[in-house]
Amino acid sequence: MAQRADGRNLIVRYPMIDRVVHWTIAGTFVYVMLTGLALFSPPFFWLADVFGGGPVIRYWHPIIALVFLAALAVLLVRWFKDMKVDADDRRWIGHFREFVTGDEKVVADAGRFNFGQKALFWVQSASAVLLLLSGVTLWFPRSFDVGLRQAGFIVHDLSAIVAIGALIVHIYMGVFVTPGSVKAMTQGTVSARWAEAHHARWLKALRSATPQARH
Amino acid sequence: MSPVTSASALQVKAVSASPHTATGIKDVPELTKMIDVSVCIGCKACEVACQEWNDLKVDEIRESPPQTYQTLPDLEYNFWQLIKFNETERDGRLLWTLTKYQCMHCEDPGCLKACPAPGAIVQYSNGIVDFVQENCIGCQFCVTGCPFDVPRISPTTGKVYKCTLCSDRVSAGLEPACVKSCPTNAISFGTREKMLAQAQGRVAQLTADGLDHAAVYNPSGVGGTHVIYVLPHGDETSLYGLPTNPKVTFVNLWKGPLKWLGNLVFAGGIVGVVLHYLRYGPREVDESRHDDVKH
Ligand code: HEM
Ligand code: SF4
Repeated sequence: MAQRADGRNLIVRYPMIDRVVHWTIAGTFVYVMLTGLALFSPPFFWLADVFGGGPVIRYWHPIIALVFLAALAVLLVRWFKDMKVDADDRRWIGHFREFVTGDEKVVADAGRFNFGQKALFWVQSASAVLLLLSGVTLWFPRSFDVGLRQAGFIVHDLSAIVAIGALIVHIYMGVFVTPGSVKAMTQGTVSARWAEAHHARWLKALRSATPQARH
Repeated sequence: MSPVTSASALQVKAVSASPHTATGIKDVPELTKMIDVSVCIGCKACEVACQEWNDLKVDEIRESPPQTYQTLPDLEYNFWQLIKFNETERDGRLLWTLTKYQCMHCEDPGCLKACPAPGAIVQYSNGIVDFVQENCIGCQFCVTGCPFDVPRISPTTGKVYKCTLCSDRVSAGLEPACVKSCPTNAISFGTREKMLAQAQGRVAQLTADGLDHAAVYNPSGVGGTHVIYVLPHGDETSLYGLPTNPKVTFVNLWKGPLKWLGNLVFAGGIVGVVLHYLRYGPREVDESRHDDVKH
């Protein structure tokens, strides 16, 4: 547990490995998303030129997508326990309206991740699996019959739309709504006040596990 | 044969991934190639003419399907038209339905609609659908968009190729190479009205000869094609390896409602979070209060 200059505690929220993996996912996803959008709709084709031209992005999109998936798999293993939906999440869902309007106190009693974060994580993971399965049919069209390829396009597009929609919410929450979250994912630590305000149960559990965390 | 058209035949009508293409205003006649299956003798002169005019060389003659005279099992990136030696048993006898297979130059081309690369596929006012390899990115979306399974990618160039209906010859007023080579006149080329009328005339003759189901193949699901067939057994298109009712329904769904759903989610998502921020703002944590952190 790190110490702040004013003597108060900093709590490690994301160790180095989580941060490296998270930013690998973020970078590869953004690349794959932007190159996918270039092919998705003609008004976005200029993105192809930004990334080196049509043939270049056609070659790299699926390869970088595999890096994205591999990194996501690591996070899946590392966070599986904390992302499990449990009985306390039911209460969070009941207070969804308060969460949206900013009266977070009623739902602050969350574990390491609240239900919103868990839902986002599982939606992203599920769409990644669908993107992989459908993406392979677009990658090697001659290996699949036409019906599968057509289904592939529909599934690839729908899951990309869901994943991008979820990403908009994710970035907005992290960067704009909860100051301190970006620092958690860049420097790895949060303040005790931050933890109490957003993830009180997590803080409590940390403290009972490591008595020296008390101050 | 007199020139069927003038150089202005190559006026652009539609361009892939370019919804607002300016189309020309010249009154260019639509052209059509008519293939009379009942007259084809399977001599393959058209295959040779196609390879020769387009300077194409197949790298290896792969094994044909067993016991047929077909040159190759299927079209290749450097083999744009193929006489299919379809064999069926009919009343205890062999029925040989030789079918010249190549791009159909659809009026509503699934390949062009599917293509995400601006300018990689063009359709000319005369009906020819042409691939422009400089703009092709090799994604093969056209392979899935084409209801006739025509486009083929080259493993060396990474670009897609197919029959051009000899757009180079046609723009110079010449007929396509296959048409010129056919010794039985099974292939004709000319204005669309003339070819449709000629095809109907042949169907009437075949019907009079007792082929009750003779028909013109000009499928309406793709808006008609600029390559049409006279089929002696027009009610059984599968005998000729031709789809009964080719459609571009999937491409329209993929490139229409699905794109709009995407645009709606992307734009709606961004507008939504901006409005949320303006209404509710960030959730600051008061860092000065450190006395009340419960243990
Ligand atoms: C996970 C593995 C993935 C694989 C194997 C894959 C593969 C492909 C392939 C082969 C294409 C065809 C064009 C090309 O090759 O560039 C494509 C298109 C596309 N990809 Fe992916 N991709 C994957 C993940 C993603 C992700 C994470 C996104 C972003 C959210 C995405 C969004 C798109 C979009 C929007 C298109 C255009 C499809 C269309 O125009 O209908 N893909 N993908
Ligand atoms: S037959 Fe296929 S490649 Fe030819 S114009 Fe129609 S959709 Fe395009």
